[in-house]
Amino acid sequence: MAIAQFVVNGLLVGALFAAVAVGFALIWGVVDIINLAHGEMVMLGGYTAYWLLSIATGTAEGSVLLFLATLPVVVVVLFVVGYALQRALVSRVIGTDIFLTLLVTFGISIAIQQLAIQAWTANPRSIQVAFADPSLIVAGLVVPKMKLVAFFGAIILTAILYLFLQRTRTGRAIRAVSQNPEAAALVGIDVEHTRAVTFGISSAVAGGAGAFIATILNIEPQMGLIYTLKSFVIVVFGGVGSIPGALTGGLLLGTVEELTAGLVSSRWTLAVSFTLLIVLLVVKPQGLFGTEAEE
Amino acid sequence: MSTESDDNGLLRSVLPPERVDQLFDLCGAHGWKLILASAVVGALPPLFGLREGYMMTVISEMFLFAILALSWDIVGGQTGYPSFGNMAFFGIGAYTGAILLKDFAVSFPLAVVSAGVFATVFAAIIGLIVLRLRGHYFAIATLGVLLAAQQISRNLEITGGASGKILFDVPPGVVFYYFFLGVLVAEIIVVYYLSSTRFGFILNAIRDDEGKATAMGFNTTYYKTAAWMLAALFTGLAGGAYGLFNTFIDPQTAYNGAWNVELIAMALMGGTGTVAGPVIGAFGLHTVIEYVETAFVGWQLVMLGLAVIVTVIGFPKGVVGTLREYANEMDYYERGGMAATDAAADGSGGSDVAASTTDAADSDADTEVTRDE
Repeated sequence: MAIAQFVVNGLLVGALFAAVAVGFALIWGVVDIINLAHGEMVMLGGYTAYWLLSIATGTAEGSVLLFLATLPVVVVVLFVVGYALQRALVSRVIGTDIFLTLLVTFGISIAIQQLAIQAWTANPRSIQVAFADPSLIVAGLVVPKMKLVAFFGAIILTAILYLFLQRTRTGRAIRAVSQNPEAAALVGIDVEHTRAVTFGISSAVAGGAGAFIATILNIEPQMGLIYTLKSFVIVVFGGVGSIPGALTGGLLLGTVEELTAGLVSSRWTLAVSFTLLIVLLVVKPQGLFGTEAEE
Repeated sequence: MSTESDDNGLLRSVLPPERVDQLFDLCGAHGWKLILASAVVGALPPLFGLREGYMMTVISEMFLFAILALSWDIVGGQTGYPSFGNMAFFGIGAYTGAILLKDFAVSFPLAVVSAGVFATVFAAIIGLIVLRLRGHYFAIATLGVLLAAQQISRNLEITGGASGKILFDVPPGVVFYYFFLGVLVAEIIVVYYLSSTRFGFILNAIRDDEGKATAMGFNTTYYKTAAWMLAALFTGLAGGAYGLFNTFIDPQTAYNGAWNVELIAMALMGGTGTVAGPVIGAFGLHTVIEYVETAFVGWQLVMLGLAVIVTVIGFPKGVVGTLREYANEMDYYERGGMAATDAAADGSGGSDVAASTTDAADSDADTEVTRDE
């Protein structure tokens, strides 16, 4: 029974990991950049929601509806941040050495993280969402309500992104640029703008996931790198450019982490995640759902 | 691609490109003497009374960072495998040294040597796994190695867990000063020597086009792993002494993520793929960071992040690479387009020493700049 509980916990958290990873995979697929500052977008999303609630209520507490009301603002703010980062900095290294693209996003990551420490201190914070009654109990398994809200929130964010890419004109432009930037430019797509929009959307989804993370886990300025690496694990597992793959990967990673925490010790979760990363890279770099690795 | 503006008249009149070119030739011709002279100059301060205090520590740290940056460059710059996890070797070395010193009461020299050996063995094992990967995958895998090592050290008993290890009986600062200087000079000699050997050329060939290097019959895995182990040896030696130097290590300081970026930034700012570049970069950036750390407490990492962004976007060839490009700018007119491309490729990646551009222009070596693939 305990194991079933760990699996449920894992799936609930895993959906958030998946939502973060989907944005990471999108930038990787479309702009061909590993965005090492992706985790910082999660962090900024969490803090934006935290401060919005603090301004609205005086403390970082509130009802579910009030929290959900902050989400559109978080998404817009993070879209702007992502768009600006791509336009101002990342676009300057596209097409150069892979190492330089990694390093520039690493630099952005450190700068944002350290500025956040200066602005908000390194203390962990969290958003307290008030519910009238305690957790749901389904077939003997405890399901905290906020985790359930976060789970569906993450799934909805991922689904919106998927539909956006499939159904809208901008989404089609993004997929075109991902397949062939030159051809996309030939048919009149503004490649630079499309890439920046991709960066913005990816950051917005990460930020939205970050807001949910603030309600069920902690947020702190230095949390970013861990989420970036988790995203990498998930994307490598699911395959670059596969949203269903990323979703599966996220749920699986969440489950593995919760099982480790429950059966061994919560101190070992990160060690297991990172070891899993190396093992996956070596054993199956093309992912389970992906078509092939580029290199 | 030149980052120097073309109408930079003042610079041109004070320091014409030909003069810089001559300077490079001079350094190339007298490389060994230059290294010897630098080593002697480096050894002087303690003899003239600088035996302890703040300056002593800062200069020792400069040597330490130069070791780390140059080690990174053996694999990251010379071989074209930019690692984001070099601090893993440092951490392994630091823990090996600390555990041997504290729990097994081993003497300092033996502990340091063991630290180097341990780090090298660790690199051999990890290298066989991660050096099979390339590009993004390699970079992230090395970052994963660093973080996994950090997490494992945090959870084990023998490493003292999250609280780390405090070390006593610390030798005087002069010992560390000469130790770090000694390791640095040894490493410079090794890297400089290798840069004109077959081994060094093969590393550069792997960087420029690993497929072609393999096609020419080189066992690239062997060379990559050897370079990787060499980098780990020097990093591990430095780490082994660091525990005692700092009197304390924990997972956060031993596998310091910020340092990991710092040493990459140093190599990049000085000029990757050169001997002098990483050393110059380490001395320069550490001075700046040390200044920011005292003048604006807490802002040094913000500055580091911004410095990395500016360097990558502004002058990714670093000091040495940019100077070389400036020195070679007339090649295009004197020797034709291909020679200029060749020289530029040399400047960005070629060895700092002895790699005379005339040789490159005369020989019909492949002139493709394949590094950007």
